[in-house]
Amino acid sequence: MPEPDHAVYETPPTTPYDERLLLAQRTDSEINLAVLQPMMQTGKGFWVLVTILSLIVAWGFYAWGYLIYWGIGVTGKNRPVYWTLFITTFVFWVGISHAGTMISAVLRLLKVDWRRPITRGAEAMTAFALMMAGLYPLIHLGRVWKFYWMIPYPNNRLMWPNFQSPLMWDMVAIFTYLIGSTLYLYLALIPDMAMARDHTGGWRYILYRRLALGWRGTEGEWHKIHRALGIFSIAIIPIFLSVHSIVSWDFAVTIQPRWHSTIFAPYFVIGAVYSGLSALASILVVVRRGMDLQEFLRAEHFDALGKLVLIAGMAWVYFWFAGFIVEWYGNEPVVRELIREEVAGHLAPFFYLQMSANLIPIVLLIFKGVRTTPALLLAATLLVNVGMFTERALIVIGSLQRNNLPFNWGIYRPTWVEVSIVAMTFAGFALLYTLFSRIIPFVPVWEIKEGRLRYTIRRIGRLLVPTAAEID
Amino acid sequence: MTLIALFHESTDTAEVIDELHNLGIPDNKIVVITGVPYPEGALGRHREWLTLPYIVLAGAVAGLLFGLFLAVVTPHLYHLDVGGHPPVGFPPAAVIIFIFTMMATIVSTFLGVLWEMNFPRFGPAPYNKLVTDGYLAVILDIPTLLEDKVKQTLEAHHAHHIGEPEWMAL
Repeated sequence: MPEPDHAVYETPPTTPYDERLLLAQRTDSEINLAVLQPMMQTGKGFWVLVTILSLIVAWGFYAWGYLIYWGIGVTGKNRPVYWTLFITTFVFWVGISHAGTMISAVLRLLKVDWRRPITRGAEAMTAFALMMAGLYPLIHLGRVWKFYWMIPYPNNRLMWPNFQSPLMWDMVAIFTYLIGSTLYLYLALIPDMAMARDHTGGWRYILYRRLALGWRGTEGEWHKIHRALGIFSIAIIPIFLSVHSIVSWDFAVTIQPRWHSTIFAPYFVIGAVYSGLSALASILVVVRRGMDLQEFLRAEHFDALGKLVLIAGMAWVYFWFAGFIVEWYGNEPVVRELIREEVAGHLAPFFYLQMSANLIPIVLLIFKGVRTTPALLLAATLLVNVGMFTERALIVIGSLQRNNLPFNWGIYRPTWVEVSIVAMTFAGFALLYTLFSRIIPFVPVWEIKEGRLRYTIRRIGRLLVPTAAEID
Repeated sequence: MTLIALFHESTDTAEVIDELHNLGIPDNKIVVITGVPYPEGALGRHREWLTLPYIVLAGAVAGLLFGLFLAVVTPHLYHLDVGGHPPVGFPPAAVIIFIFTMMATIVSTFLGVLWEMNFPRFGPAPYNKLVTDGYLAVILDIPTLLEDKVKQTLEAHHAHHIGEPEWMAL
């Protein structure tokens, strides 16, 4: 009889949950400290980053001022390309905003535990992305001071907003989503503001005390906030679906070839989820490194998020192909010309960039090693957003270059004003997020602690396995 | 008089609440403060009735009516012919009504929960900062006659920091 291999039995059992075990062993005050301490550390690198981002934002504001002073003619807008980089970037930011709700509301309702450390980062991303998106209709107006004409109030000019117009739906929907996502972010933040109030002094104490609204953590308060978050989670899902649907209808209700499509709404929504989840993964990798949050944002979270990105990516491919095959088969002259331009014409570099940047990450994310290695995940998800931005540019700008009147065909080239303003919103988003991460606890501490209540580590044979308790 | 006691363990807290009930202290004279949301019923308290769902429902109905007013009534007041469509059509009206209903639902949820919690409330209240460090605080409003018995009960369940609570400006 062969001797048993003692070496195998004597090897200490390794567990993929080492970091989780470490968190389980920490006291509540150690967790508070682990979250609060990185917020207080603003080293040289932080201020360099803030300065660079602020300078880009300032330059962008100068460009916007230049546009307001000289008029919309300083952009590359022309006939027929009347929607350009501004609307492309607007659609992109609305898309980015979708992951916050996806992660926070949907996963909260489904009681998915790995959402806990990433919900706040996702909700903040939604709010800041919507703030950037909300700037574009104003910028795109040119005469920004005329904006108040969109507000319904009785006036002696007898002018009234046209509620039949998708542009009006757009404004109202985005405003609703911005209000909803900001309140959702804030509501879940109140208990952590109380925690921060109890552990800080100076201006931070004043700020956190105000934001905590007098929270103590009584049973009644917890019960009520739980109920409110549950209602928010349900109510915000149809809003998030409607917002990008309405953005898509800005295009689809026109008779512009390649826009007039019934599949546009779900295609836009799934694209938004794909790019939003990817952006969230990219941000989490950067914040984890910048704020030493390795203990909270672990490989298991990136793995789960990577799988979601993968699924969203495959769904995006399906919807893209479902739209493309119908257009290709229809063979209508202008659509045929647009497809030819994309596949073999002057739009071809953008088309192939779009396809490769959206498809390569799907292949990469099949591998667990890519999903759980932060640098690789960052590369894959950044690539997705390059692809999604290009996709939006092809839809908005590419399609407008051709229409049913061949004498009215044209091309578009962006000017420095447009590029500067687009750069301003990217830098503005990064700046808001950077400042947010140093002022507000990036990890929802009370949710982490609540998660610890639910979980114990159970030994099954040679493995240590996290086991969830059946509590609501 | 008001007393506060801190506990390490939720089991001790639940047991002490049961015994306080046995001493004749009603539920509305006991406040439990925690840094973590415990599952309902875990600490032996009664489930609290909430008016929040009704506030939300009222908000949603108000939003629906406002959306109806904007999308269905106002186009008749400010007549505008666009694209051969009637002044009021079902699809655009449905979009506007839906969005305003959802907006009012969200806002009424937020305002409703603040109203239910009586927030903001910045005045002094009995509190201990150790709550956010993982302790469970039990605050009691009891007649002075019961003080000794209550303190004995609390000590028997490993409570510490027993005494008059600090009224902190929150």
